[in-house]
Amino acid sequence: MIMLVVALLAIYATNAHSEYLYGLTGNMAGTGHTWGMNIGPSGSQSLKINGVFYQYTPVKNTEDDMVVHVRNKRFGTNEYIFSSTDDWSGLPGGIPITKGFVIDNLPIELWGDGSIDVEGSGSVVDANVVYSYKYNNDCLTPMSDPSCSGYIDAVLSMMGESKIEVYDPLADENIADVIDEKAELDEEVQQEDDEKVKAKDRLQRMLSGVNDSILYANVSSQNLLMFAMSRSNNLNPYYDKKLAGGVYKETVILSGGELPDNAKGARAGLAQQLLHTQMVNSQYEPKE
Amino acid sequence: MKNLLIAVALLASATSVLAADTPIVGNVQTRCLITTDTNGVFGNPLPSKLSTASSDGGVVPVVRYDVTLADAYLAKVTTPTGFSTSPSLSDSVTWTGSTAVSKTSDAAMSGYEAAKVTYGSTTQFDLTKAGSTWFSSTATAVYGVSKSFPGGSYTAIVLAECIAK
Repeated sequence: MIMLVVALLAIYATNAHSEYLYGLTGNMAGTGHTWGMNIGPSGSQSLKINGVFYQYTPVKNTEDDMVVHVRNKRFGTNEYIFSSTDDWSGLPGGIPITKGFVIDNLPIELWGDGSIDVEGSGSVVDANVVYSYKYNNDCLTPMSDPSCSGYIDAVLSMMGESKIEVYDPLADENIADVIDEKAELDEEVQQEDDEKVKAKDRLQRMLSGVNDSILYANVSSQNLLMFAMSRSNNLNPYYDKKLAGGVYKETVILSGGELPDNAKGARAGLAQQLLHTQMVNSQYEPKE
Repeated sequence: MKNLLIAVALLASATSVLAADTPIVGNVQTRCLITTDTNGVFGNPLPSKLSTASSDGGVVPVVRYDVTLADAYLAKVTTPTGFSTSPSLSDSVTWTGSTAVSKTSDAAMSGYEAAKVTYGSTTQFDLTKAGSTWFSSTATAVYGVSKSFPGGSYTAIVLAECIAK
């Protein structure tokens, strides 16, 4: 049951995907016994012939031989893609004959001109030849897809029919005004942004200074605390030191017991004094 | 030994009681199909006349025979000899009718018309070829002696039969 449902869905999907349209031609033999195969909507490149129907009335004497061919040439050749022959030899005329054929969806590109050909004595009247066809409408509008035949012609045709004007948006005053206003607005916004950035930088610097101060204070206090903590450790060893007791006697002995003046030093000191006095007095000497 | 014979006899009788009905089923596909191609319409060219002829404003009924087996059937077409529905009529109606081959699907069927046999209001055709044949029937009804048909709806039937040879 499930498989049946799946199969039906698959068939439905297939059918839904291939959307063919169907049609019938008019009487192709209405104006003569030869005709071209320009059938179907223009641009329907996937048109396929799926049926041929014809009817005519033979006009002949019963004793005459007459053969009627209804056929289409295979395009570009002398062969026939479709041919039906009615042999009326020895048969009475006057009664219409009608025939229908199912064609296996042969593309229109294969179909050449059609004709009703009579061999022998007699003629054909009231001929009616109709083709049934199917096509999909993907290329009903040639511009719908570049792969459609006639796409380029349609595009060129459209360009030829319409007056092409090059539009320069920068030359449009309205657009220029809008651009100027936008530029001014952007500039104002940029200035505001710069001010905000500067204020933010100042605030950050200020906060950074406060942070540094706090950090420095913290470091200083920690250093002091560490110094205080380590002081006892550093000083305690000195407190623990003890000098050995006793008397420290004079070990220097002055021989002779007399200290003479330093004459050399006295002379140098006197010279210095004299020079100093001379310099001080020079400032009071009258200028020349 | 006697008991054995009795047992065998009982078995034989028991076996003979068993039976089965085996059905034989077969389907016969029709090889002669009759289809109404065109419904007829009576024209009323005169107050006393109803006619299917196009010249009288009527439409000729057409019936199609599709035969897939050649030379196996006879086509019998009977034109009407009375109304199937009509207002109450107080006088006699004179019927005339004819049936002819109007169209064929094979040139060889063009001889049907010449070979047809007519008796009474029935026309018989020998369907010697496989294919489709269209028969058209004309029917004319004349009321009394130039007497006007009473107003109302009139219906008549063309009987088409396919008789195996």
